[in-house]
Amino acid sequence: MAATLTDGSPRFAHQSEAELARILDFYGVAWQYEPDIFPLSWNAEGAVTESFAPDFYLPEVDLYLELTTLKQSLVRKKNRKLRWLRQLYPDVRVKLFYARDFRALMVKYGRLDFLADVTAMNGNGPLDDRASASA
Amino acid sequence: MTGPAPVPEPIISPDVEEVLLTHEQITARVGELGAQLAADYGDRDPVLVSVLKGSIIFLADLVRAMDIPLAIDLMEVSSYGAATESSGQVRILKDLSGSIEDRHVIVVEDIIDTGLTLNYLLRYLEDRGPASIRVCCLLDKPARRLASIEIDYRGFTIPDRFVIGYGLDYDERYRNLPYIGVLRPSVYTAAAE
Repeated sequence: MAATLTDGSPRFAHQSEAELARILDFYGVAWQYEPDIFPLSWNAEGAVTESFAPDFYLPEVDLYLELTTLKQSLVRKKNRKLRWLRQLYPDVRVKLFYARDFRALMVKYGRLDFLADVTAMNGNGPLDDRASASA
Repeated sequence: MTGPAPVPEPIISPDVEEVLLTHEQITARVGELGAQLAADYGDRDPVLVSVLKGSIIFLADLVRAMDIPLAIDLMEVSSYGAATESSGQVRILKDLSGSIEDRHVIVVEDIIDTGLTLNYLLRYLEDRGPASIRVCCLLDKPARRLASIEIDYRGFTIPDRFVIGYGLDYDERYRNLPYIGVLRPSVYTAAAE
């Protein structure tokens, strides 16, 4: 389970997660923060050695969301874990939200100031060349 | 007589990286959608509900391709970015003008991306007691869908690109382009710097 603040709200690992939570709240979409941990590998004694805890669960659509707004090496690691998870838990629906997806959301909502802050915090390069329009 | 007038060149904005759908492609598909809707709804007198502002051009062309009795109504809802300093929840900026109770409603959308706005809107409309609700969208961009949306009538499925034109905007511009284009990334990356 995710760590919580004194008021019971989740302690988000990254500003982008808090921002996505605000967007979901805005549109009245129910969400849970890191509610489940999926074991991916075990040692000879049966202890879990690697696991995956997707950032969000959207119960109304039975969908887990993992946000990836960090370095490319972490994206590769998450992609690998995601493939693993899909093999071990084929009924679990998980969507990886890439940096470009989050950036597109920020562009769509006119939150370029927030995007600049997050990008600077991550030490990422300039915005990549893909984003997409609104709904 | 000097022969037919030359066909004007399409207006290609310098901010458009690529034309994704031409005016001719859009016109043909909207005609097909209109004919399909007219066949499906016949004399049931549907109400086409559209959300300002992006959908109005699609709505205007769609209803003219539907040779049946129908009504139109418009709504406007606040979007996240513009409202983050206020209520923190979607607000209805313009509600329906008439009742939809026991009416057959067709929600007309320009584009469905995350589906969050439409998901909210469908719940709102369902509380008004319509006989039925169906969704008709011109563009379906499923890559980042965060809500479960059943699309009954779909114009085009498009890739994960930032599209403008035919009602779609970036910062309130480009809605008047007669085609669907991909916005040049330098336009919004420059704004972020």
